[in-house]
Amino acid sequence: MPIMAMADEHPERSSVHVAPLTIHKERTTSRTSNRSHHSRNMSSKGSIGTGVSTNTQSQITPPATPNGSQEDLNQPMAPSNPVFHNFLRAFYPFHPTYTISDSTVTLPLNEGDVILVHSIHTNGWADGTLLASGARGWLPTNYCEAYEPDSMRNLLKALLHFWDLMRSGLTCDSEVFGNQEFLRGIIAGVRYLLEKSSCLTRESPVVQGNDGLRKNRKALLSDLSSLVKTGKRLQEYTAGPRYAQTDQDDVNNTIDEMILKAFKIVTRGVRFLDVLDEDLRSRQPVHRVMATVAEEAYNPPTPPADSTSFDGSQHGDPAYGAASRRISSRSSASGLSSLASEEQTKRLSNKRLSRPISAQLKRQSTISHRMSLVASIPAAQRQNLVSEKLNASHDTFLSFLGSFIGRLHLQSQSAAELLISVRQSVTAGRELLVVVEAVCAHDHQSDEALEASRNAMYDRTNKLVVAARDVIKASAIEGEDVVMPQQNGGLLMAATSCVKAAGECVARTKFVIERIGDFEFEPQNAGLGIDISSIGVVVAEKPVEEPQVEIPPEPTSRPPPPPLIIPSHEKPLPDLPEKSPSPTDAKPIAEGAVESARRQSTGTKRDSLLPPLPKTTSPAGDDYSPSEKSSQHDNDFQTSFRSGSIAISSSGTSSTYLSGIRDSESSMLSQASTRATTPDHSAYVPRSQPSISDLSISGSLSTLADEVDEGESKMLEKTFAHELLYNKEGQITGGTLPALVERLTTHDSTPDAMLVSTFYLTFRLFATPVELATALVDRFDYVAESPHIARPVRLRVYNVFKGWLESHWRDLTDHESLTVIEPFAKEKLGKFLPGAGKQLLDLANKVTSTEGPLVPRLISSMGKTSTSIAQYIPADTPLPTPHMSKSSVLVLKNWKMGGSNPTILDFDPLELARQLTIKEMNIFCSIMPEELLGSEWTKRSGSNAVNVRAMSTLSTDLSNLVADTILQYEDAKKRATIIKHWIKIAAKCLELNNYDSLMAIICSLNSSTIIRLRRTWDVVSQRRKDLLDALQATVEPDKNYAILRKRLHDHVPPCLPFVGTYLTDLTFVDAGNPDTKQLPGLGGSEGMPVINFDKHTRTAKIIGELQRFQIPYRLIEVNDLQEWIQAQIVRVKSSPEQENVQKYYRKSLLLEPRETKTSPVEGQMPFSMTGHNTKFDIFGWSHSKDREKAMSTSSSLF
Amino acid sequence: MPNSRTSSQRRDFNIVVLGAGGVGKSCLTAQFVQNVWIESYDPTIEDSYRKQIDVDGRQCMLEILDTAGTEQFTAMRELYMKTGQGFLLVFSITSQSSLYELAELREQIIRIKDDENVPIVIVGNKSDLEDDRVVSRSKAFSVSQSWGNAPYYETSARRRANVDEVFIDLCRQIIRKDNATFPSLEDQALVQREVRKHNGQYRKTGRRKRVMREGEKGGCTIL
Repeated sequence: MPIMAMADEHPERSSVHVAPLTIHKERTTSRTSNRSHHSRNMSSKGSIGTGVSTNTQSQITPPATPNGSQEDLNQPMAPSNPVFHNFLRAFYPFHPTYTISDSTVTLPLNEGDVILVHSIHTNGWADGTLLASGARGWLPTNYCEAYEPDSMRNLLKALLHFWDLMRSGLTCDSEVFGNQEFLRGIIAGVRYLLEKSSCLTRESPVVQGNDGLRKNRKALLSDLSSLVKTGKRLQEYTAGPRYAQTDQDDVNNTIDEMILKAFKIVTRGVRFLDVLDEDLRSRQPVHRVMATVAEEAYNPPTPPADSTSFDGSQHGDPAYGAASRRISSRSSASGLSSLASEEQTKRLSNKRLSRPISAQLKRQSTISHRMSLVASIPAAQRQNLVSEKLNASHDTFLSFLGSFIGRLHLQSQSAAELLISVRQSVTAGRELLVVVEAVCAHDHQSDEALEASRNAMYDRTNKLVVAARDVIKASAIEGEDVVMPQQNGGLLMAATSCVKAAGECVARTKFVIERIGDFEFEPQNAGLGIDISSIGVVVAEKPVEEPQVEIPPEPTSRPPPPPLIIPSHEKPLPDLPEKSPSPTDAKPIAEGAVESARRQSTGTKRDSLLPPLPKTTSPAGDDYSPSEKSSQHDNDFQTSFRSGSIAISSSGTSSTYLSGIRDSESSMLSQASTRATTPDHSAYVPRSQPSISDLSISGSLSTLADEVDEGESKMLEKTFAHELLYNKEGQITGGTLPALVERLTTHDSTPDAMLVSTFYLTFRLFATPVELATALVDRFDYVAESPHIARPVRLRVYNVFKGWLESHWRDLTDHESLTVIEPFAKEKLGKFLPGAGKQLLDLANKVTSTEGPLVPRLISSMGKTSTSIAQYIPADTPLPTPHMSKSSVLVLKNWKMGGSNPTILDFDPLELARQLTIKEMNIFCSIMPEELLGSEWTKRSGSNAVNVRAMSTLSTDLSNLVADTILQYEDAKKRATIIKHWIKIAAKCLELNNYDSLMAIICSLNSSTIIRLRRTWDVVSQRRKDLLDALQATVEPDKNYAILRKRLHDHVPPCLPFVGTYLTDLTFVDAGNPDTKQLPGLGGSEGMPVINFDKHTRTAKIIGELQRFQIPYRLIEVNDLQEWIQAQIVRVKSSPEQENVQKYYRKSLLLEPRETKTSPVEGQMPFSMTGHNTKFDIFGWSHSKDREKAMSTSSSLF
Repeated sequence: MPNSRTSSQRRDFNIVVLGAGGVGKSCLTAQFVQNVWIESYDPTIEDSYRKQIDVDGRQCMLEILDTAGTEQFTAMRELYMKTGQGFLLVFSITSQSSLYELAELREQIIRIKDDENVPIVIVGNKSDLEDDRVVSRSKAFSVSQSWGNAPYYETSARRRANVDEVFIDLCRQIIRKDNATFPSLEDQALVQREVRKHNGQYRKTGRRKRVMREGEKGGCTIL
């Protein structure tokens, strides 16, 4: 801040008038679409496109008031977090006086105007749309301050989204406009504003107490109602049977109209807030206001808008003193005119030297943009934005790498081919890195993680090159031109790691872009190589350096305001005819003027210069315009800027606009774009549009009618819509409980099925049953404020309760909520919907007395139970006959009579597999979804997940049974026979799609106990071993059970999946995703945390996947065989689990003792046995005695 | 840039994470494999448990097998263990029994791998819950000592403290073991150089000190 120099001269006031150029490039949320203007360009009206020339040298000395000095600029300013502000408010009028032909360049501002910012040039000019008129153009940011008062937050956010949506040129209009959803944000925003200001109802004392406020509020609501009406019209258009081309124009007109209306609502909101502020202020003692002004006056003068402030390292805080500034600028009208003279003096006394330009030209891109909230903007419209570039180059890189990796899997390929594909991949990788570098260079906070991931990517790419070189070299040495696949291992790894590194790098880069703001990326510079120096400078050519000698400006030959240059090949705002000097004859008098004129002349020589930012000068009056001062100041300002009055008639400007565009188009072809947001005028078709005057305040005020009052409640239905988060697919990924409940009880559409089922299944993870009941009751209550939707909403609230009690009730946890539900049913629900009230009361009584759900849930729903059975196999298919031979039946009969115990060899493998399958499936089908939530099944004690536990127990028992049956024989050949039989059974299990039993058998055969029986396995035929290998491959945990998952994905029931994968998935969804998410805040502030609904949706999906298979097999139970299996399982279960393992291992050692050849294994057992005991001593384990006992008992087996 | 052989030697490292339920091993794994800025973690895809890291200049692709959630399927353990080359044995410093249970797991690993010197790292998780600590650092350390001098680390999955370190240590052990098993002069020289470079006083002070140091380091994050 140029504190010192200025402070001496005019300690008091400078800051009052001169705003710091505080808008820095930075984080933003959105922006893109302006190019789609063509079809929906709203405005000819005033939109002045301007081609602001890009004055990369950022000295923005306003011609009239040079009040910053060189030294000032070098003063460090307090660092602050660079943030892109989406909305600015002029606290000082800006009325450039301009020659007619120049009138399209800049956007005149009145004090208090609010501007939606599309992009900001580093020199301080911003491309913005004036909400008051819908006009678009360049405006000086140092006349403005960030505008984002808390109570306007939601409305402003909604406007951004609305703008993006409307301008996105989506082809699927009918989807967007098919319902009123897209207006909800604006409505919610208005509601939020009124709520925050305690003006929600007409009766509120605040409203009653201030007539101005009341009128403003009424006008605001009337505008809102008008917007909603227009929205309905649009809905009708799109819903119409023939949504044809002819209608398109109408639709576009309507859309434009709506945008203007939305602007107007916001403008109205701003005014409303102002009135409110004034109202509040007026109740305060006058001296306090004065004090504020005085205080403010001590603030140092604002530095001239200079690029330094955009460098990120230094700049003022935009929000700094905003409030007081507003006050002071207001009060300036009332009598601080004396300041004006001081200001002039100051201006005259300041000389600004031009600064070295070259350094500043190093800057890469000079404009930062909002990043659009809308994902589906046609890419062509935003290709110059770095975010787009990033995506595109990432895609390219991946596709090259993908095909490269594909080639590696081929049998062989020639070295030359290999080289080509590596080269392609690496080139694409470099292009990607160029983009990443550009972002790095733009990020003044130099994000560490980004740099790390970028470096990692460099590294991987280099390694790919090295790996390729090695392979090719190697093949060259061998004199072969063919690279064999086995040589590709290293390459494959290098390529895969490139994919990974690129992914991480891109993810991080996106994150950074979101923070710093999207910006233009010069396409021609892309892809030149990794060399960083090649990236960047938007205006590539160095400007011709001005000779150091200052050129005394000739009054007569004074150059026109610097041309606006729009670097894009696609249409920017209209340009000025640039090279012809304006005929105006202004006479620069002051030194400052000389200075600025000099600079301007410099500007004309450059390819792209924005006009220097005008300096704000003393507040001579409310409506300060430089031209007014011309008498005092030799008119220099007048010569450089002249614009028409703000009230530009739509028809008039329309033509001006067009011609301006055409002129500029021809002159601009060679220039690079800095505007992603400008309309494509080549496609621009003039049409009559709603003029802002149609919507003028006076107009709408006069149309205010009582209907507005009636509509008020309609309009302002209370909503929590702003507390929801969506992903790109439009699914809800986060939200507060009231917001989620609202979505469950929407009045105009059936709630999303996935949302409902996820909610019922998982709500206990993020809310208590009492909280849910209360939230539903609240919803029931607050909808009373919006009578027109009250009935459907109340019905849905009832339905949610009903569904909960009927099918998803868990009395254990939910019982407490009856204290909320019962009174609600009696007193509230009963009042509006007596029948429903009674029914809910009945349900509430029933749930406490009934076990299990009152109404069986549907198979497709999340809460499905085993009682609901849908057969995938038609019921009339004959059941397969059990494979029970006579002897099998006989041995069982004998066994039941107390005879000898049959072995598994007595039964057919298929039948054993079937009976095992039936047994397991019975348990699997009983698994309740709630058993799978919150890691219930892992609880050590008191777990309610009885069926999941039973599954794991049965699975373990079956494994033990396998080991037990094998180990019961002394003879290796007999053991081998049993092994072979189990392999056959496992194969039959696979045929039956019973992966759970398959897994248990495979696990046992692979256990250390069995696998070590070398002599036994030697007797097993190779054919059986191969079969076992194949079976094992299907359940291999490798690559996250890739094979098993693939198979399950394709299966239709009946099928018994391995439960373990679901359990692991559920555990990791829980561990890998946080419980809450942040709502995005405006202007980089932290948003409030909301429920991470995405996590619960994932959980529900996994559970749903499991439930998909909860359908019993159509197989006949053979009771005797079941009985026998059960008996065997009970037998092996008799000893505790761990002892079983020990027991079997010892038995295995007995049967086939360790071979005595020296191996590291030798002696391991005795060692670890003793080791074990010693450890017990070390730990002083409480149960060590038991252990030791167990140990010694088993040792005695030896 | 390491010599060209390294790149061709890059390969998968199969790491198995074991431990009782509730010790936070899934958090440890999830923290390790996912990048902090991933918005939504999907554990059901093939890549969910793969991550490449740099160990002393080598690129190692880690394939992590974490049995979280299936602790009760005791018969499955050995199947998981079979493929592992290195093992993270995780317990919680807030649960005595979770440490005891590791003894069983270690026995099983040694049995199935048929090898006393399997690369193992002992991990005391939840170091952020110092107030609830019931397993003292020295006790855990002496246990790790008695288990073939296995390195002991304390981690906090929640705060992402020491998470990468345990995986890197394990990779080093695997690499070292490979080189011992399949001696290649060039490789050994390379590894030794790298070990010296990255591991400072490792050779001088010996494992014990180093391990202690790591333990202390874990402690520092708490305090």
